[in-house]
Amino acid sequence: MIGRVRTALLAALLVIGLTAPALAQKPVKIGVLTPLSPPGDAAAGQFIVRGAKMGAEDVNARGGVLGGRKIELVVEDDAGTPEKGGAGFRKLASQDQAVAVVGQFHSSVMTAVQALAEQFKVPVFSTQASARQITEKHLNYTFRTHVIDPDRCQMWTRWVKERGFKRAALITENTDYGVGLVDETKKAFASMYPGAELKTIIFDRAVVDLTPQLLEIKNWKPDVLLNGGIGTPMYLIIKQAYDVGLHPAVPMLISYDAPARPEYWKTLGEKGTWASFIVYYHPTMKLTARGEAFRKKYMADFKEDPIYGALNAYSQVVLLADALNAAKSDNSDELVKALLAGKFEGWNGTISFSRGEGPYWQQWTPPMLVTQYTKPEMPFADVKIVYPTELKTGDWMAVPKR
Amino acid sequence: MDAFILSQYVLSGVVIGVIYSLMALGITFIYSIMKMINWGMGEFYMIGSYVQYALIATLLGPRRWYLALPLAMGAVFLLGLVVQRFLLRPMFVGGIERRDEYATIITIALMVLFRNLAIVLGGPNQYAPPDYARPMTLGTLPISGNRFVALVGTLVLLALFYLVIKKTWVGRALRGAAQNRVGIQTAGIDVLRLDMLAFGVGVALAAAAGALLAPDFLVYPENGAISTFKGFEIIVIGGLGSVLGSIVGGVLLGVIEALGSVFLSAAYKDLYGFLLLIALLVFRPTGLFGERERSV
Repeated sequence: MIGRVRTALLAALLVIGLTAPALAQKPVKIGVLTPLSPPGDAAAGQFIVRGAKMGAEDVNARGGVLGGRKIELVVEDDAGTPEKGGAGFRKLASQDQAVAVVGQFHSSVMTAVQALAEQFKVPVFSTQASARQITEKHLNYTFRTHVIDPDRCQMWTRWVKERGFKRAALITENTDYGVGLVDETKKAFASMYPGAELKTIIFDRAVVDLTPQLLEIKNWKPDVLLNGGIGTPMYLIIKQAYDVGLHPAVPMLISYDAPARPEYWKTLGEKGTWASFIVYYHPTMKLTARGEAFRKKYMADFKEDPIYGALNAYSQVVLLADALNAAKSDNSDELVKALLAGKFEGWNGTISFSRGEGPYWQQWTPPMLVTQYTKPEMPFADVKIVYPTELKTGDWMAVPKR
Repeated sequence: MDAFILSQYVLSGVVIGVIYSLMALGITFIYSIMKMINWGMGEFYMIGSYVQYALIATLLGPRRWYLALPLAMGAVFLLGLVVQRFLLRPMFVGGIERRDEYATIITIALMVLFRNLAIVLGGPNQYAPPDYARPMTLGTLPISGNRFVALVGTLVLLALFYLVIKKTWVGRALRGAAQNRVGIQTAGIDVLRLDMLAFGVGVALAAAAGALLAPDFLVYPENGAISTFKGFEIIVIGGLGSVLGSIVGGVLLGVIEALGSVFLSAAYKDLYGFLLLIALLVFRPTGLFGERERSV
C-alpha cells in the first residue's frame, strides 16, 4: 500500500515538475488586428505589423514579461471591414486568448470591435483610427494613442485660415472617418473661421469614378481642396483631380500621412507633387531613447525611414509589456488598472491614459504637422514642415503659374 | 446651372458608361452562348489590369502600353479557354442536372481564388501604370488621356466585336448557338468549342476594360468588383443577351449616376442605377432591348 502511494506521489511530482516550467514559459499573446487586404488600407496594415513585430522582438530580447514569458503576436487581417474585424477580434479573444489587441486603423472597424472588447474584456488599442466617437463612448477596454478627428479638423481649419483660403471643399468617403471629418470640419469652420465657405461631398467608398464630384468642386471654384480619402480613394481623388484640372492648380491637403509611404510616388508619379499632407512623425523630430533605438533598427532592417504607423504599433506593444509587468498579471482588469495608473515611454514622449472629458478618454495624442511635397519623387525625409508655425522648417509653397 | 456645366456631367457619364459596357458585353456574350452567368468576371478584369501593369513595368516600358493591351487580352483569353475547358465544360458533358448552380459555384470559387492569388503574388497594395496620354478636353469635358484612350479602345473593340459577330462564319455560328444550342449541333457545329471560344472572348473583353482603365482606376486585388457590379446592372437595364442593350444600358447608367451624384448626393451614387433598374424590371422586365424567352 505504502509502495503504491509512494509511486503515485512520485508520478504526480514528475508531472508537476515537467509541466511547471512549460506553464511558466507560456507566452503572452498580443493580437494585431489590422487591414492587410483591400478594401482596407493594406499598406498601412503592413507597416503596423512591422512595428508590432519589432516591439515584440524588443521586449523578448529584454527578457520578456512577467518573469520571463515571451510576447507572441497573433496577426489577423480585418480587411478594413467591420464584419471581418469582428470575426478577427472574436478569434483573437476566444481562440488565441490574446491579452490585448493593437493595430486598429479604420474607424469603422474600431467602432465595431470595441463593443466586442467590452464583451470579451480584452483591451483594444486604436493605432490609427481617429473617429471622435471611439473614445467618446467612455468604454473600459478602449485605448487610443493617435489623434482624434476634432483636433485634426481644427488644425486644418487653422491652416486654411492662416493661408487665407476663403473657399474650401472637402471630399471624403462614407465611412465613420469620412462622415466624422465632415461634421467636425463644419463645426470648426463655424467656430474658428466663420467668414469662410465650406463645400462638403461624401462619396461611396466603393466608387472608383469621382469625375462628376471633382467637376462639381472645380466648377464651385474653391481656394483649397481637402482630401479625406483613405487608401485607394485618397489616390483616386489625387489622380482624377489632376485629370480634370483641379490639382495642382487648387492646393490640396491630404488628411493623413499616407503620402509618407514609398508607394505614394509609385502610384501617382508627378501627379503627387504639390500635395500637402498631415503627418504625425517627421524624420527631424526628436524622439525618446526608445523611439530613437526603434528608428535606428528600422532603418538598418528596411533601409528607409520608419512610418508613423510602425512607430505607433511598436510603442503600443512595448507599453503593453510595461503595463503587464506593472500589473504582475495578464488578467485583463489588472492590465487596465496598470494602463490607467502608469506612465509609459512611447516613441515621442511619455504616454499616459487618463479618463478625460468627451473624446479625451483613455487617449494620448501625438503631434500633428502639415508637410508638403514640392518636387516629384521627393523623399519624405526631405519634406519641410510648413505648419504649425512654431514647428515649421520651411514655407508652404503655392504652385508656380504655368 | 448653365448648359456648359451640365454638358460636362452628361459627357463624363457617357464616357464611363461606354467603357463599362465592355464589361457588360463580356457578361452578356458568355450568357448568350453558354446560358450561364460568370460571377468571376471582375477577377478577369483584375487579371487584365495586372498583366497590363506587369508588361509595362517589366518588358514593354511605358511608351509601348498599346502593345500590352492585346497581350493582356490574349493572356486572359487563354486563361478563359483553360477555365472553360477544365472547369466549366463538365457542366455540358458530365450529365450535371443543375447547371446554373454548378456554374455559380465554380465562378464564385474562381473569384475568391483569383482575388487571393493576386494578394499573394502582387501584395495588397495598389499599382498604377504610367499614363497612356496627357489630359485633354473632349468637347466641354476635361478628361484624362487614359480615359480618352479607354473610350476609343472600347469603341474599336465594340466595332470589331460587331463585325466578327455579323460578318464572319464564326460569328454566324455563335449567333446560332445563342439561338438554339441543339439545333446548331444538327448542322455539324461543335458547340463545345464555341463555348470555349465565347468564354475566352467574354473574359478577354473584361480584361480589356481592366487594362484600359488601369492608370485611372488603379491595379489592386479588388478593382474588378465595381465594374462587375456595373456590368450586371447594365445587362439587366439593356436586356440580357443584347449587344446594343449593353451599350445603351451602359451610357444610360453612366449618365444617371453622374447626374444623380451631382444633383442629389454622391454618397448614394450606386442607388440611382438601382432605381432605374427596378423601374425597368417593373415596366419592362426584359430590359430595353431584351427579348422574351421563347420555348417550344
